[in-house]
Amino acid sequence: MSSLADRLRGVLGGTRPTGTPLAPAVPVPATKNLEAVAETLGGEWHEERGHRYVVVDRSFAPGYRHGRVAVADAMPGTDGLWPRLELLLGPRAGGPAPREASPFRPDESGAGQLLFVDLETTGLAGGAGSYAFLVGCAWFAGARLHVRQFFLSSFSGEAAMLAGVARLAERATGVVTYNGKSFDLPLLDTRYSLNRMSLPLLELPHVDLLHPARRLWKDPEFEARVPGASSCKLTSLERTQCGFERDGDVPGFEIPGRYFSYVREGDARPLEAVLEHNRLDLVSLALLTGIVAQKLEAGGPAASSAREALGLGRLLERGGRHEEAREAFARAAALPGRADITGEALQALALSFRRARQFDEAARVWAQLLNLEDCPTALAQEAIESLAIHHEHRNRDLAAARGFALRALELGEPMGRRQIEHRLARLDRKLGGGAGPRPPLF
Amino acid sequence: MAGDPRDLPLDLTPPDPGRRPRQLTRKTDPARESALQTALERLSGGIERADTPDGWVTAVRRLPARDAQYAPFPDGIDERLREVLRARGIEQMYTHQAAAAEHALAGRNVVITTPTASGKTLCYNAPILSRILKDPSSRALYLFPTKALAQDQLAELHEMSHLLSQPGELEIGVFTYDGDTPQDARRAIRGKAHAVLSNPDMIHSGILPHHPRWAKLFENLRFVVIDELHAYRGVFGSHLTNVLRRLRRVCQHYGSNPTFICSSATIANPRELAEALVEAPFELVEESGAPRGEKFFLFVNPPVVNAELGIRRSYLSETRRVASEFLKRGLQLIVFAQSRLSTEILTTYLKEDFAGPPGTADTIRGYRGGYLPQRRREIEKGLRDGAVRAVISTNALELGIDIGALDVCVMAGYPGSIAATWQRAGRAGRRTGRSAAVLVGSSAPLDQFVLRHPSYFFDASPERALINPDNLQVLVDHVKCAAFELPFTTVETYGRHNVQEVLGVLAEQGFVHCTTADGGPDEVGQWQWTNESYPADAVSLRSISSDNFIIVDTTRGADVIGETSFTSGPSTLHEKAIYLLEGALYQVEKLDFEGRKAYVRQIDCDYYTDAITYTKVTALETFDTQAVVRSHGEVHVSSRVVGFKKIKFYTNENIGSGELDLPEQEMHTTSYWLTLPREVMAALPYAPDDRRDGVVGLSFAMRQVAQLLLMCDRQDIGISFDGISTEPGAPVAEEPRIYIYDNYPGGIGFSEPLFRLHDELLVRTHELISGCGCERGCPTCVGPDGYTGPLAKTVALRMLELLIASRPPALDEAPPA
Repeated sequence: MSSLADRLRGVLGGTRPTGTPLAPAVPVPATKNLEAVAETLGGEWHEERGHRYVVVDRSFAPGYRHGRVAVADAMPGTDGLWPRLELLLGPRAGGPAPREASPFRPDESGAGQLLFVDLETTGLAGGAGSYAFLVGCAWFAGARLHVRQFFLSSFSGEAAMLAGVARLAERATGVVTYNGKSFDLPLLDTRYSLNRMSLPLLELPHVDLLHPARRLWKDPEFEARVPGASSCKLTSLERTQCGFERDGDVPGFEIPGRYFSYVREGDARPLEAVLEHNRLDLVSLALLTGIVAQKLEAGGPAASSAREALGLGRLLERGGRHEEAREAFARAAALPGRADITGEALQALALSFRRARQFDEAARVWAQLLNLEDCPTALAQEAIESLAIHHEHRNRDLAAARGFALRALELGEPMGRRQIEHRLARLDRKLGGGAGPRPPLF
Repeated sequence: MAGDPRDLPLDLTPPDPGRRPRQLTRKTDPARESALQTALERLSGGIERADTPDGWVTAVRRLPARDAQYAPFPDGIDERLREVLRARGIEQMYTHQAAAAEHALAGRNVVITTPTASGKTLCYNAPILSRILKDPSSRALYLFPTKALAQDQLAELHEMSHLLSQPGELEIGVFTYDGDTPQDARRAIRGKAHAVLSNPDMIHSGILPHHPRWAKLFENLRFVVIDELHAYRGVFGSHLTNVLRRLRRVCQHYGSNPTFICSSATIANPRELAEALVEAPFELVEESGAPRGEKFFLFVNPPVVNAELGIRRSYLSETRRVASEFLKRGLQLIVFAQSRLSTEILTTYLKEDFAGPPGTADTIRGYRGGYLPQRRREIEKGLRDGAVRAVISTNALELGIDIGALDVCVMAGYPGSIAATWQRAGRAGRRTGRSAAVLVGSSAPLDQFVLRHPSYFFDASPERALINPDNLQVLVDHVKCAAFELPFTTVETYGRHNVQEVLGVLAEQGFVHCTTADGGPDEVGQWQWTNESYPADAVSLRSISSDNFIIVDTTRGADVIGETSFTSGPSTLHEKAIYLLEGALYQVEKLDFEGRKAYVRQIDCDYYTDAITYTKVTALETFDTQAVVRSHGEVHVSSRVVGFKKIKFYTNENIGSGELDLPEQEMHTTSYWLTLPREVMAALPYAPDDRRDGVVGLSFAMRQVAQLLLMCDRQDIGISFDGISTEPGAPVAEEPRIYIYDNYPGGIGFSEPLFRLHDELLVRTHELISGCGCERGCPTCVGPDGYTGPLAKTVALRMLELLIASRPPALDEAPPA
């Protein structure tokens, strides 16, 4: 009979994972080249309870340019924080937080700190077998952008490395990621849990910049033109928002394979490019965060396009800045743009007015929406209905209300037909006092 | 042979008092009793009579009523729980419930064999709830083979835990966690659940790989419940063992060591199966203390319409007649059919016969997989409250879904195993008063064997459930998953094989990497997962290999309507094959073998197809052999589908055929084989062609009996012969061989038991062939006329007689009657 190993090879035949090079025939001792790793990557060894990992520090001067944007351009005020970024955390229970308690400004001792986090991992699926082999962190301080990368030089050093990350993160009062809500932070959580450790960072206020970025810069036309492309990938945004082009960047799908071959062969050189990739991601994340924060400060008037103004309005609205949100919506409606964007902006504006109980203003905007050329049917329907309600109940102009109700029927949306007919009947009753023949509907 | 009333060791009991207290108050209903009596007399010509002269009713057995056996609550049962139970009318437990709870509370693994609805849920809920009341940090994990069963049990457990919860102090959280659980509810469940009701597939792919998120559960896991243990045999069981190995590794990591509570239907080896699945010692509780009413069991064989060809009247028509006898007397019944198609046919028949006036509620309902959950719940409720008078179901209702207690169970066709037959029969049965179960046989060989040998069914022990968790394919897949979950250490063991060697091969392939301590204090190295994939996604627990064929319906667009395992793809999805799905017929228009897709189109036809497969088996290594005749070992199987036959529905006539050219499939597996020794062959006074027919006919019959003995599905085993040729006049080898192999790469553990059961296999095969009334062979014994030659039956019997007579004395048994 064949040996167990031979039979296993038969069983596994053809199932060799793709993208993973075969191990060399002669196993390489794990210690080979290990001393050189820190040097190769331009970092230093750190040691904790007998286990080592590599820390790579870089800092970017105020004049460092990422395309059109310099670090100094995106820099927050002297305290390293942007007050308005907290709007992105969304509405809090019990209204906006008192200013003193904001995590995005320093406390009295000036210890506030925003930490940018980006991981490189051995797999995208998550689960206990996906490691974060590189934890990249960045923060602004002393007019510079600092980047510190924690590299897992061997699996046994994981707990030590995670302890190092936790120590750095102690100073942070908030965390910013790109898609970290569904990827980076849960994965970190898994790694810490697995090592029976905890990371207080995970409890801090968290801005996942992916979501505001989508609001502001998602470009459906671009995505329709280039199948499979995303206008909101970090690398797309650094191109469109900063004018920065990467040169020789390592594609994401290659990253786990490079780490695995380092693990097997001990040669860290192919990982230099991975660390560079991670640094660029962090710089882009930090600068884009600055850009978003500035846009939140400047508000609607500074928006560069109708879509951006609309997105800004929605972010401001979500952050509870309703007046500023309306300013942005109005700006979005005024800027040249596609009919659906203008329509959405007017709808958002009208709804905001209504929530603020400024009914006449709301009616004015609904009417403006109805007058749009190519007004999308669903929006028109909503406008007509709102106007019918407004004229019946607020304005007490029953004839006008009836006119809008009839228009709603003409629009022919079958869904709300019953309610519209109901409304018409009621209006007729009110108008005619129940006497006289009912005017024909058509 | 049949007919005399006797007691049997098997239980057919009415439902659990805790579950359905209303049953306690139901008194014997004289009208119902007499209706049942009349129907049974009509069917059997008098209950006390033995076989009817024409042999239509081949057995009538009476299982007498039995009183409940009670025991006080064991000490460990929490006082609060006792109060809740008392409030529901439960003052004490049945003996088996008390015994099971006592073992579990003492931390001893326990397996309970319980007849349908004998109160098994209390066997595990009582100790678990008591433990949670005592220590609210305790956690329990329940595994059910299907999502529907988990849902069914949730209601019960939920009610109990609600009554026991004290708002603000102890809220006992009970949740199902499966593929249907919404993403946003999952986090809350992970935090709040004291009891998680799930299935092995979810544990495998959703929970174990994410164990850090479940740290709280694993740190405090006190009990694991495995319900319907008997469902985990063969491939599924082999996978489950590995899932449990992984579960225990993870528990060990978090410092817990749960006690296992398993419940099983009546099988021959419940303790052995539990110990094989969990790989730990078990206590067995098999004496049910639940009461049961009197029950009658009838075997009905449809009359022969063509004696020469061995053709009987359709068993579906016969089932319709039998069911009608009960239905028209106002009795509530369940009819089990063998397939979705026959379920629909029988539903149609019975609706025709018994539909109420238009507009009235439907009293006759079908039930099978593929019905929407809401419809199923409605039917289950209708059965419980009596609004539904008859349900026609596939095996979907065989497992413990709550449908109350019915009067009668009619089975259209032998369910394939003794255990499953008792399980289905248990669906009828009341605490007091009579119930009945009727088995209507089809003309399939297995059915005919059972019907003609009732004592095989009534008196033999039920089947053994077998697994082979160390099948290399299964093992390797789970070692990958385990390595993903937690790195293996270089001294760790796992399963029967040397896992370090397995990991070494996985390292060669880049899946794992062995790291030694980098100067740190660790003494041992670790095998780290070094692959981007999420290995559990590539492993399906319901098959050996996750490679499969997708079936695409092109009738309107391109809808995926099903999938089929890789091994059975060529024989069921070849071009022009008829593919059946929910009663609809599809013809395969194109098989994209490389792309693993079959394109089908819906058609209307009156036949189905049966593939002709040429299989060649070569013995690679013999593990054991005795007296030349019996052996088992490792074999190489190559098979190729070369053609197909068109078989007409209902009459099973062969109405055409076609040739096919498909790639050969190869596998290594394990096999049992019978070698016909030269003395036996020399003693046969027949021509070479007749000898060949004898071998072919003998193997046909042996396959049926092997399936019976192994408690496996038809496709689980394959058959092949060596030393004979299909060419007319070709010589027959001196010592031809018949292989019965495990039809899964690597083997699934059937061959070794078959080797042990060799003598029984021969004796039973002899019984099957000699007991068959046909003249020259039929589908019931050595294969239909035309499959083999005219003397196949005679020669096969002679071979068996010689083999049985020449058995070595040490293995001697009483010769067949």
